[in-house]
Amino acid sequence: MPKYEFTYLSAVASEDKMLDELATVLHINGIPEDLQNWFMLAISEAFTNALVHGNKLNPHKAIKLALNINEGLLTADITDEGQGGLAKIKRRQPPTLLSEGGRGVDLMRHYASVVRFTETEGGALKVSLRFDQIKENEVERYT
Amino acid sequence: MEITLREDANVTTLSLKGRLDLATGSALKEQIIQLFEKEKTAIHLNLGEVEFINSSGLGSLVSIMKEIRLRKGRLTLSNLASYVQEIFEITQLSHIFEIFATEEEAINSYQAVTAG
Repeated sequence: MPKYEFTYLSAVASEDKMLDELATVLHINGIPEDLQNWFMLAISEAFTNALVHGNKLNPHKAIKLALNINEGLLTADITDEGQGGLAKIKRRQPPTLLSEGGRGVDLMRHYASVVRFTETEGGALKVSLRFDQIKENEVERYT
Repeated sequence: MEITLREDANVTTLSLKGRLDLATGSALKEQIIQLFEKEKTAIHLNLGEVEFINSSGLGSLVSIMKEIRLRKGRLTLSNLASYVQEIFEITQLSHIFEIFATEEEAINSYQAVTAG
């Protein structure tokens, strides 16, 4: 049951660093390519949300990524150091076709078996993603 | 992300390689704005070597498309990997972008419009 924890500064360049490290972890654990793609996509959406909307690109605030890789199950927790993120998620409106943003939550929900948004005691947002490798029925979704 | 630019008579083609995300999407948009300054508004993006795209990358493409439409230009895409194509379909962006299977088909479509 490999577990990994990473902490990133809130800078745009951190996203590429995170994706590089994530790709390495998934590769060495033999995760199938399709699943790697979808897992990386969902994590990147949560990461970008934490970076831009949660931490507002404040370099003094960090983003934590915790991964659990088991046979048949991948999970990831992405936690920012912002405030009020959960309320913003609940208030969000679906994007129009010509919107330049707002598609990240929908992509997470499309690909992950479970997406859960929770608030930490300090008011920050934690996004929990679960990918079942074996079965994709009984999809649970929480907001 | 690497961007290779080629200018033909009717269209400017940018071939993208790597990830299209928050950082690289902004870089791509800046490069397109430089083309606008040269009055180049017929733009083709070959996405054949885009290995990763997320909603930030998609947002950049939507922004570029809107800027091109404002200038009465045209934006086409081609060579989407099946992974990228699926994301365009899930987000329904396949309905608003002109997407071709190959770069050649896309470039020929500009010639057809010019000839017509």
